[in-house]
Amino acid sequence: MSILSVRDLATHFHTRDGVTRAVDGVSFDLAAGETLGIVGESGCGKSVTALSIMRLIPPETARITPGSVVEFEGRELTRLSEEQMREIRGKSISMIFQEPMTSLNPVLTVGTQIAENVWRHTGIDKRQARERAKEMLDLVGIADSQRRLDEYPHQLSGGMRQRVMIAIALSCDPRVLIADEPTTALDVTIQAQILDLMLELKEKLGTAIIMITHDLGVVAETTQRVVVMYAGRKVEEAPVGELFARPLHPYTHGLMRAIPRLDIDAETAGRRPRLKEIPGMVPRLDKPIMGCAFAPRCDFATERCRVEAPPLEDHGKGHLAACWEVARVQTVAA
Amino acid sequence: MVAVPSDTALASGTDEAPRSLAQRIWTPIRRNPTIFAGALLLTILVSLAILAPWISPDPLKQNTINRLRPPSEKFWFGTDQFGRDNFARTLHGARVSLIVGITVAAISAVIGLALGILCGYFRRVDAIVMRIMDGIMAIPSILLAIALITLTRPGLGIVIVAIVIPEVPRVVRVVRSVVLSIRAQPYIESAIAGGTKGFKLLVRHILPNTLAPLIVQATFICAAGMLIEAGLSFLGAGVPLEIPSWGNIIAQGRSFFLRAPWCIFIPGAFLALTVLAVNLLGDGLRDRLDPRLARRM
Amino acid sequence: MTAYIIRRLFATLPVMAVVTVFVFFLLRLAPGDPAAIIAGDDATAADLEAVRAKLGLNLPIHEQFGLWIWRLAQGDLGVSIFSDLPVTRLIAQRVEPTLALTLSTLFVAVSLAIPVGVIAAWQARKLADRAVMVFAVLGFAIPGFLAAYILIWIFAVKLQLLPVQGYRPIGQGFWPFVEGLILPSIALGVTYMALIARITRASMLEVLSQDYIRTANSKGLATKRVLLLHALKNAAVPIVTVIGIGIALLISGVVITETVFNIPGLGRLTVDAVLKHDYPIVQGLIMVFAAAKVLVNLMIDISYAFLDPRIRY
Repeated sequence: MSILSVRDLATHFHTRDGVTRAVDGVSFDLAAGETLGIVGESGCGKSVTALSIMRLIPPETARITPGSVVEFEGRELTRLSEEQMREIRGKSISMIFQEPMTSLNPVLTVGTQIAENVWRHTGIDKRQARERAKEMLDLVGIADSQRRLDEYPHQLSGGMRQRVMIAIALSCDPRVLIADEPTTALDVTIQAQILDLMLELKEKLGTAIIMITHDLGVVAETTQRVVVMYAGRKVEEAPVGELFARPLHPYTHGLMRAIPRLDIDAETAGRRPRLKEIPGMVPRLDKPIMGCAFAPRCDFATERCRVEAPPLEDHGKGHLAACWEVARVQTVAA
Repeated sequence: MVAVPSDTALASGTDEAPRSLAQRIWTPIRRNPTIFAGALLLTILVSLAILAPWISPDPLKQNTINRLRPPSEKFWFGTDQFGRDNFARTLHGARVSLIVGITVAAISAVIGLALGILCGYFRRVDAIVMRIMDGIMAIPSILLAIALITLTRPGLGIVIVAIVIPEVPRVVRVVRSVVLSIRAQPYIESAIAGGTKGFKLLVRHILPNTLAPLIVQATFICAAGMLIEAGLSFLGAGVPLEIPSWGNIIAQGRSFFLRAPWCIFIPGAFLALTVLAVNLLGDGLRDRLDPRLARRM
Repeated sequence: MTAYIIRRLFATLPVMAVVTVFVFFLLRLAPGDPAAIIAGDDATAADLEAVRAKLGLNLPIHEQFGLWIWRLAQGDLGVSIFSDLPVTRLIAQRVEPTLALTLSTLFVAVSLAIPVGVIAAWQARKLADRAVMVFAVLGFAIPGFLAAYILIWIFAVKLQLLPVQGYRPIGQGFWPFVEGLILPSIALGVTYMALIARITRASMLEVLSQDYIRTANSKGLATKRVLLLHALKNAAVPIVTVIGIGIALLISGVVITETVFNIPGLGRLTVDAVLKHDYPIVQGLIMVFAAAKVLVNLMIDISYAFLDPRIRY
């Protein structure tokens, strides 16, 4: 049963130099309690997708185009008034961001920043909200929570700040948590702790998670289903095991190849595997793209790929992919 | 943090179509409307000031029959209490304002540049000079000018000196911070390590970088200088009465304000317009030349 | 905290020391013969000698300096050349109107300009913002006395709502006191308001693009709370800094505004002293105004510690 359903979401940025199609027709569903991964290189539109669901895109330049549908518990979010949308943000859908260093307000105490979300949405008084803030700090594993309530973000480490962000996001028991690269800015050891914490709390609270990342390791560890995005579009979607066993899109295939195999220790290289071994770069999105957006970087590309965009097709077991050359990709991948 | 760089910066538009003459003139105006508005307004005012002796020869000619006449076809800007033509006086007043503004800006910029570079280079000079600058900046500028004028005979020169002194510290601060920030740049450090001599370093790296903020600062000082001169002359502590300046025209009009408000409003409007033009130019230049500073204001 | 305040207090000493030395040498190093100018064109040799004696100019320079410091330390700013009254007393008599004028201007300017700047940043590039920016640009260009005469012309002469000029002490009733301060405060505050509105807008714009504002919005907080708590508190340091810098503007403006509105404050005292070349008064006023400015800057330095928890004391 899906609680969040995104259909043909398109978000365009209108600037002086033209229109950038950051997200251009993305659809997916999120089931209650599920963890869905959205992966892709930077600039592929995954963060804009998340911000569009929350309607937090910059209003001066960005527009969610008519025809986009974001349905949450039966309500069409793109049609809600700003006021109604604010009722949902932080209460039913909440979000944590990539940069814990800059995502917390430097001049407000940790306690205030958690408690304000609680009393904004639950109507309890400030003292109780503060009590709730302390509970949340305990829940996310911050020791000495009573003292931490009155501290400022600069007094906390990066990992602790991200724990505080999680505490804020979960303080009203949201149905959906959108995590936009929640561990990217953290040290490798802290990354694992934060992911474990998120999984643990998800079990405890039953929150559905959209995990946005460019790290396939994170996807493998945390998600049940994966959407792969490229140039503002969904190019592949599959249950996580299926995707890793049988990547159908050359882009996904390329991402997989970028992961070191188990016999090569990723940790000794100092960093987690990154998606940088695909030659070429993400295309510019301010001009309409002819054919398949990935074609210029694709080893499998044919004449047809350059002129005709491939549709998303179902290849069984809930596996969708948008590629003309699926058969060839599969033989190589096998 | 982010493994894959965005390509938008790399592949930005290189295929621009050839443009028509009208476009070539219009595009820069559209991009920097404030610079052009300021420059246009200033050009008009400067031309009027330069041509003043030919347009209306005598700003001091008295004509007691035509005292305090309102603006008319004969006297465009009316007359003052001695029957002098306000149009002539206002145009000649433009000369004083512009001379003071430009001279003050130029002298402050030169002195400030020299002191700022010294401060940026020598720690010991820096400690002393910056203390002095802090002290001067603690004194409200008009008061400092007034004090100097109390001690000397009135004249255009002393007014300029009196305005320059409080403006110098502002330039020193800007130049010094630019020098210090450039000296901390890795490429300068490597140039020094590579044996580039002090003077060459100055000419090649430091002076060019101070130029933009210096020009921007100078335009604002020009505007401030004109306002202070007008203020001083208005108080009777500025340019002597035999040289008509917007400030002293207004000062003389004070007693007749209710009967002849044009004696105040017209030169006042010219002053405001001139300051506006210089400020617009300064704002535009700042946005264009010094985006770091622009973001702060 | 106390230690921080004391440290800041000590940091003001060198500045005041420089002002003191500067004022001292201004008289001694001025071109020509300042004593002759102070005494006036028709002064006799005896008059000139009297002025020299009064200014202490016939002593050796180190003794002059010692005397200047010694007297300052005792709060003695010397004696007026013309009235023979102590400068401190003359200043004390005139403090009240100036204090009333500057404080009311400060109040009017800050309470109008900050909301205006916040609205401009919130409505960036829309009509309200453009209007504020036009006002800000004009506010920088309009000289104080022109603003004053425009206000007098409209509100006192044409509409006859407010007095043309003059000052009533608060002892003569609250309304007459306020009535007399409205136009001067606006005239004095125009540039100041433009300055504060502009920095508020710029500072808010910068803050509003920060990640933590997005976080605040992701909690569904009311716009008012996001703007006035999350954003404004972060934007406060540059705004407060400019409010402090602008005090210099107010002090300079006071001299002109008091002249236009005929307010018997320190500004009038300054102008009268200049016209009579009464240097001891001017010198005393410089010391007082510089001290006031340094004091304001000190208060602003201290306020940073309250505004930004990251500043360590």
